[in-house]
Amino acid sequence: MYKTTTYTSILYLCARNTDMKGHTIGELEELVLLGVGSLYEQAYALTILEAIKENTQRMLDVTAIHAVLRRLETKGFVSSSMGGATQERGGRRKRYFRLTQDGIHVLDEIMNVRSALYNKIPRMIFSAN
Amino acid sequence: MKSPPRWANRFLEWFCNPDLLEDLQGDLYELYEQDIRNHKSWIAKFLFVWYVFRSLRYSVVQRNYRYKKSVFGMTTNNFKIAFRVLRHDKFNTGLNLVGLTIGITCFLLVGIYVGKELSFDRFHSQKEKIYRVWLKEVYAEDKIFFNSVTPLIFENILEENFDEFETVVQFDKINYLVGRGEERTDEPIGILSPEFFEVFDFEIISGNRDRPFHDRNSIIISDSYATKYFGQEMAIGGIITIQIGENLRDFNVSAIMKDIRSTSSIRFDMAISNENFLEIYGEGAMNAWFSVSPETYVLVKQHASIETVVKQIPEMVMSYLKDRVEPGVYNIGFQPLTDIHLNRDIPLGIAPVGNKDSVYILGIISVLVLAIACINYTTLSIGQSMKRSKEVGIRKVMGAYRSSLIKQYISESLLISLLATLGGVILAKLSVPLFNEITGANIILDFEPWHAVLYLGLALLIGFAAGIYPAFVLSRLNVTSILKGLNRANKNYFRKGMIVFQFVVTVFLISSTLIMQKQLDFIHSKDLGFNYQTTVSVPLYPDPSAQRLIEFIGTAMEKGEILKEKLSQYPSIKNIGMGSHVFGTAGWGNLAYTDDTETFRRFRLLAADAYYFQTFDIKMLSGRIFDPESSLDKRESIIINQVAAEYFGLNEPLGKRLPGNKFGEHSIIGVTENFNYSSLHNEVEPLVITQNINILYSGISDHDYGDSPVPKLVFQYTGIQLTEVKDILEAEWEATFPEEDLNFSFVEENMRSMYANEERLNRLVFIATIISILIASLGLLGLTVLVINTRVKEIGIRKVIGASDMSIFYLLAKSFSLQLVLGIVLSIPVTYWLMRRWLNDFAFKIDMGYDMFLLGGGISVIIALLVISFHAIKAANVNPVESLRSE
Repeated sequence: MYKTTTYTSILYLCARNTDMKGHTIGELEELVLLGVGSLYEQAYALTILEAIKENTQRMLDVTAIHAVLRRLETKGFVSSSMGGATQERGGRRKRYFRLTQDGIHVLDEIMNVRSALYNKIPRMIFSAN
Repeated sequence: MKSPPRWANRFLEWFCNPDLLEDLQGDLYELYEQDIRNHKSWIAKFLFVWYVFRSLRYSVVQRNYRYKKSVFGMTTNNFKIAFRVLRHDKFNTGLNLVGLTIGITCFLLVGIYVGKELSFDRFHSQKEKIYRVWLKEVYAEDKIFFNSVTPLIFENILEENFDEFETVVQFDKINYLVGRGEERTDEPIGILSPEFFEVFDFEIISGNRDRPFHDRNSIIISDSYATKYFGQEMAIGGIITIQIGENLRDFNVSAIMKDIRSTSSIRFDMAISNENFLEIYGEGAMNAWFSVSPETYVLVKQHASIETVVKQIPEMVMSYLKDRVEPGVYNIGFQPLTDIHLNRDIPLGIAPVGNKDSVYILGIISVLVLAIACINYTTLSIGQSMKRSKEVGIRKVMGAYRSSLIKQYISESLLISLLATLGGVILAKLSVPLFNEITGANIILDFEPWHAVLYLGLALLIGFAAGIYPAFVLSRLNVTSILKGLNRANKNYFRKGMIVFQFVVTVFLISSTLIMQKQLDFIHSKDLGFNYQTTVSVPLYPDPSAQRLIEFIGTAMEKGEILKEKLSQYPSIKNIGMGSHVFGTAGWGNLAYTDDTETFRRFRLLAADAYYFQTFDIKMLSGRIFDPESSLDKRESIIINQVAAEYFGLNEPLGKRLPGNKFGEHSIIGVTENFNYSSLHNEVEPLVITQNINILYSGISDHDYGDSPVPKLVFQYTGIQLTEVKDILEAEWEATFPEEDLNFSFVEENMRSMYANEERLNRLVFIATIISILIASLGLLGLTVLVINTRVKEIGIRKVIGASDMSIFYLLAKSFSLQLVLGIVLSIPVTYWLMRRWLNDFAFKIDMGYDMFLLGGGISVIIALLVISFHAIKAANVNPVESLRSE
């Protein structure tokens, strides 16, 4: 009996741990995550790329977006499903992404942290500039 | 519309994980379609290829089955499995890991020492082109003068006569008093040709490398001596005073050199230019052909060869010396620089020469210890083949190829050896100070990035060597017989042979250590014919104005008398004597002359006073020792040793003279028993003891000294506190000779240092022995556990039927006894052969009686039994109910 409890508690700790680790995401990951969210039903690698290019004027190529998307998926912040086939793209299907609950949670948290800190900046700094 | 390049597309399909392919490929197509609308078609194609290559990432390739089946994928998988297997069997893994780690540590430490000895003088970039000159004068069979130090004139002669030489330089080392006033110390000073640094790669830190000496008053000092003499101050331009002959001369520091590394035969911390040779050696020596002092080095030109020079040498010699020597008498030869440190066929020059044999012995031993550790792994793994046969069977049924099984098992041994190498390197690094302290070997273990490759190579080598055989054995097992449960216990001769080999090496090391220890004990305890317990030797200083040897000895003895008077008031100081040489140093004065029957003779010379005999308790065979009161004795009495009496053919030596016309008036008043005044490597040589060296010097033709003949004061200290003698000496010395440095030593320590090389070898072998015993014991332990585990049921049944604990133990011990006995027997010839070689270095040696081998064998049997019983007793005591109940 005793053994079982310890075992489950260890498992629980492990689960908590991976969860904690997943919380940290990089800047590009954040951007891509935002892109996925903002494009809603239309989010696949190329549209995300377009969205980021448009909003940040950054030079990125599509393979970087793919890599980030795969990473986000293993972290559990996005989920993907294959769309229908079209004549374009040599008949290849698109992989659409959407935010998971965890993904939304992470974005919320990041925004909270940012705005909380942002609001603490004294007003005079802005007026001085 | 043009489609994207086919080959790039195919490449993408080849490497991409199939799950990811479709959308990735689709995205790339879509991009391509955009690009071809906006750009020229070649740009679009180029971009497509670019994106394909950019997509080649680990996350894309990772789950591709092609990758999984490839070398990389399988290796990862193999290591993962190997890790699990090793973790599963913690006991065996532990044994293997500990054994290999210790083995590698030992291999590294001893290997570094061997490497250091072999790498002497190899750091010079022109080492292949540098030779040291030797001179061999052969007058008759037993009248040969063979030296690696040469006449001064060689530098000019060789440079003038041979175009093949780029440069010829000389190197000499002489002790001088350095400093002024109260802080004079005796320092060895190098004397170099100005072009010295063109030949050798010693690094000049500051100063002009091309012209390190400004003039004959310049001095080069090492970095550490710059700190020693000038501290933080600027050393360049500083002044160092050296007493050369009668003159106190001021030298200007003109260059600072990086400290010479420990693997250099040429060593000095201060050096002056050889333009001072004239002042040091005098006019006559500058052009002399028959007196030697400095080493001469030649640098051969890039495309010239030394052989052409060697051919021309006889002709060159005769062109100078045809009036003075016969052809073939005066021979000049060349020894490669890299040969100097370990070649004992050519006499030593200024630096001591190492022992090639012991370096090789150590090299072999370090490899053997490593081999024992590898064998542990091999035998234990083979032993486990029973346990793992089911695994092999299942794998084969599932379709594993034999080659993939081999790879799997090799992965296990590689993993072990990688871990062990890592541990070994760390352990070696940590134990370097301890190793140096125990052995006095003075090695350094630095880590440089490229060493990682070396260690990795070592790990791979060990892993393959240890794992290849078990891998083949395990993968060879037949599927059907395994799965049917037909486990024929095959007689594995290979494995048994390995164990025998382990025993051979271990027993060999044990007996060798014992024999070496016995020899060293013998040396230290041998009655040398004199007493040297608690005897102190204090070097005296001659008067600065002394010029000739006789004056050196005379003035130093006079000073000694003053000190002697002061010391004699202490009750704890007894038997104060003086002599030109003291026991524990090699190279006592060696004189040579041709006697009246034209026989060439050599003998050793000791200038000593009457009390010297009491200090060392030298026993007389006949006659008497010097009478301290007798002025006749002081003038013309001599004492010889027994060997000298035989050598000179004097049956009734008392009252007689030495055979030779030119000696001064003298007579023999006593004959001593033979005592070993040199080390026990040599036989006792003829010795003449006198108080007045003039009577002998008038009749000799040659002399050389390996040890300074300046007299030493010797006395016995009977106090209890050895440290007290230091206080007494320091106080009295300070009061008597405030300008000189006090340097005293215990004769016993000096005696020991004569055998430092042997002592070091013995300690190194001892360490190797302990380690190999440890490793072999681990292996044996693992094997017993294995054997017992496979025989648990058998033991249980035997006990049920009525076998006693003792008979069970006997049964288990028996399984290794044949191999152990075979190991002991086979080790005897190896040990005997190697140890006889080693003992041949000593003129006085022990008998390698059978007792040493019996003892060595006995020790190994006891250790083996202890190791076996560690587990066997437990197994024998197990209640048969326990072992038979299960199932």
